[in-house]
Amino acid sequence: MLPAARKPILEHVFDALIDAGVTDLSVVVGYQRNRVQSHFGPTYRNVPITYVVQDKQLGSGHALECAEPANPEPVLVVYGDQLIDQKLVFDVLHEHQAGTATATLGVVREADVRDYGGVLLAEDHAVRDIVENPADDRNYALNAGVYAFEPAMFDTVRTTDRRSGELSLVDALSNLLEEEASIRGVASNGTWIDATYPWDLLEIATDLLADASSTQPDISPESTIHESATINEPVLVSQDCVIGPGAVVGPNVSLGENVTIGSNTTVEQSVIDTDTRIESGCTVLDCVTGHGTYIGPGTTVVGGPGDVEIDGQIHHNERLGAVLADRVHDKGGVTYRPGTIVGTDVVIHAGSTVGGTVEDDSEVYG
Amino acid sequence: MCGIVGYVGTDQGATDVLLEGLSQLEYRGYDSAGVALADPSIEVHKKAGELSSLESALPESQLGDEPAGIGHTRWSTHGAPSDANAHPHTDELERVAVVHNGIIGNYQELRDELTTAGIEFDSETDTEVIPHLIGSFLEQGQTNAEAFRSAIDRVEGSYAIAAVFEGDETVYAARNESPLVLGLGENGYYLASDVPAFIEYTDRVIYLDDGEFARLTPDRVVVTDDTGDVVDTTIETIAWDSEETGKSGYDHYMLKEIHEQPTALRQCLRGRLEELSGGVSLENIDEMDWNPPIRLVACGTSYHAAAFAARLFRDWGVPAQAFLASEFTATEIPLSADSLVVGVTQSGETADTMRALREANRAGSTTLAVTNVVGSSAARTCDEVLYIRAGPEIGVAATKTFASQQVALMLLAAELSNHRSRELIRELRTVPDQVQAVLDNSRAKEIATEYRNADAYFFIGRKHHRPVALEGALKMKEITYKHAEGFAAGELKHGPLALVSEKTPVFAVVTGDGPIAEKTIGNVKEVEARDTPVIAVTDGVSDVGRYADHVLEVPPSTGITSAITANVQLQLVSYWVANELGRSIDKPRHLAKSVTVE
Repeated sequence: MLPAARKPILEHVFDALIDAGVTDLSVVVGYQRNRVQSHFGPTYRNVPITYVVQDKQLGSGHALECAEPANPEPVLVVYGDQLIDQKLVFDVLHEHQAGTATATLGVVREADVRDYGGVLLAEDHAVRDIVENPADDRNYALNAGVYAFEPAMFDTVRTTDRRSGELSLVDALSNLLEEEASIRGVASNGTWIDATYPWDLLEIATDLLADASSTQPDISPESTIHESATINEPVLVSQDCVIGPGAVVGPNVSLGENVTIGSNTTVEQSVIDTDTRIESGCTVLDCVTGHGTYIGPGTTVVGGPGDVEIDGQIHHNERLGAVLADRVHDKGGVTYRPGTIVGTDVVIHAGSTVGGTVEDDSEVYG
Repeated sequence: MCGIVGYVGTDQGATDVLLEGLSQLEYRGYDSAGVALADPSIEVHKKAGELSSLESALPESQLGDEPAGIGHTRWSTHGAPSDANAHPHTDELERVAVVHNGIIGNYQELRDELTTAGIEFDSETDTEVIPHLIGSFLEQGQTNAEAFRSAIDRVEGSYAIAAVFEGDETVYAARNESPLVLGLGENGYYLASDVPAFIEYTDRVIYLDDGEFARLTPDRVVVTDDTGDVVDTTIETIAWDSEETGKSGYDHYMLKEIHEQPTALRQCLRGRLEELSGGVSLENIDEMDWNPPIRLVACGTSYHAAAFAARLFRDWGVPAQAFLASEFTATEIPLSADSLVVGVTQSGETADTMRALREANRAGSTTLAVTNVVGSSAARTCDEVLYIRAGPEIGVAATKTFASQQVALMLLAAELSNHRSRELIRELRTVPDQVQAVLDNSRAKEIATEYRNADAYFFIGRKHHRPVALEGALKMKEITYKHAEGFAAGELKHGPLALVSEKTPVFAVVTGDGPIAEKTIGNVKEVEARDTPVIAVTDGVSDVGRYADHVLEVPPSTGITSAITANVQLQLVSYWVANELGRSIDKPRHLAKSVTVE
């Protein structure tokens, strides 16, 4: 449910699916399922949603297994955290329906596949190999995470071995290849933006804010902006937001519902999620916050570029000031070094300087 | 307490529309249901039990394209639930079929009169006098419309009534002190006790007023007053989204509604808080003319919200008292023209609360409705109305509407007591997220699993938390059918302590670490010393956790909003206990969503 400009990424995904002609949505929910269910309710744009609960997050293959329809029928599968293009969805759907392949997957050519999934295609678009994070320099296309499967795929998923407890969809696809089933790739020039990494999210938000095609107003009439505040477009201000005197907001800032920006605070190039409160006299640059985050007075998020550590891997020079997860409580006067990642419910005491990665539920002094 | 529906239309079979409408009204009562289809002859199907028993009793071939019909879902007040007592009722010659919600005050007198005239009654209901009355006027040569009106003129009491006649594509309706709303669709007209019955087809509605009549034909709706003159009606558009009435992937409406609380509270607060100036703004409320003390009247869960509010008013310097509406009599309470009586009722139709408000109106007092339903009887009966904006609530056990009542009443108390505090505004703006935090992290399910087989559940709280304790116990009773009791924490040692044992967990609501918390912790120790399991609902500021077997956490807050978050934990405990016990959570036995009988 990460926000990307005007709406959560998952909503953008639903839009792409519905625009491509999908008439039934099944959503596999686990972590924070309640927020997804409360946000969408039983239907989205009049398309019924079935919620499938995955109690333990045991991999993308396991998620697919959970969602197996009662009656065997072909399914279209996408990820909830990747912005996808309606055209790619349509092409995969169309190609799959027209052909006889057991699986059809969308790929993007000429993309940097190193941190993502690579797909090797033959001349006739048959898939030859699927590799996660490929390190060799064969001519990979990028696996865009848009799949169409025949019911037989569920049998393969069920018999795929788990690796350290997780059942991966890519492993299942590899098995399908070994079974000599037909897998086809559909290349598209459509957009594909992954929101795997927090700096991706800032980029997506910037792109979406620049997209003038939206019909929704950028500044909600149900927000309060003090006359002495400065708004540098493009900026999104949602319902119930309050921007205090002398504050400077924008460019490229999205504020979720009920966000408060205190007096004389500057926020630039940031995604600030619902119920977050930034007190007075703060500088917040290149920052992503979760729900209900509190940033005390006089805090500085100095902004990117910086080196960011994610899952033990260092990403250099990414444009990221800080990520403050849900309900981080910053007591004020805190300085965040570039590339800081702070977990949920972390308490940071006044005057601390924070860098690197801070684990969930911890307390930071100094 | 019942629900009625009616439909006249050109392109849909009435049966489907009526059954769908009744299923949306089942929350109003569900011990029997029935439908009557008109034109050319009257055809009645009715069945004791839930709506599904009616559906399975309908012959397949009957699901045709009848142009007009009426339906009813019943919750017994006169006569046991049985096929005979189910509505619709007809006259002896089956010329007319009638459904009714309400109570006919002069029923015995009318029944005696009709019996004397030789008419035989099929049921024990008060409603059955109406079709027989209509029949007797038809005998005298009156038209259908005249006979309907003549019959209604003879009836005293509260009613929403709908009738269909043989050979007539018209639905006739009348209302007095019971809810009735008309829906204007593209291809048909609808009537119902409540909007969800037809919101799927149209969001354009007309609310009938007391004493008004309506005639629905395939091409138009005519509303007349009690003298037969045509009334200019206002067509309102309902903002409710029909999809809100689905379960959205939850097993029960109650759980869905518990999780909707952050959204509901945002809607309740929207546009009412002024962060920059530290004040509250409530439309029209600041213009009310009143003097203290304030009297709040309410029933059930709403009474707990009223009790919470009364305390807030007093804290902020305005004398206020909460009364159970059923115990409130204007003659015993000194009311005058400048008194303010606040009625708190989710549905806006609660009969006890409505009676109290009408009495207050008669005494000339200013009346204010705090309700969830736009255009409800309470909203229209009172001088002013404060909507809690929680959205429709289907589960019989009130959850999100209680939280929204608490917040709306906090706003009201701040406004009327002129309590200006930046801290309060700030705290109110964090409430939706505090509730979200409880929902994200609650351990209520584990607690419920551990104590599902307890002999009884006790809840204690002091000051602001006393209504929370009472509400926690009410929720537990309602949906688990287990014994549960809420007490002022200090009262425990004056009697109830005799009840506690190792099989009666005690839930103690303790927040902050001031003298109030200290005293409740003292009460916790009394319980703990008797080997009784204690579950502390706390923000962790005090050391109550040391004396408790389990802790249910709520976010630290500087004040009264913990009464909202603590209640959410208790809602979840009740829900999960009921779930473990396999109860009918959305429709607990013997209960109805809004109680429109006194």
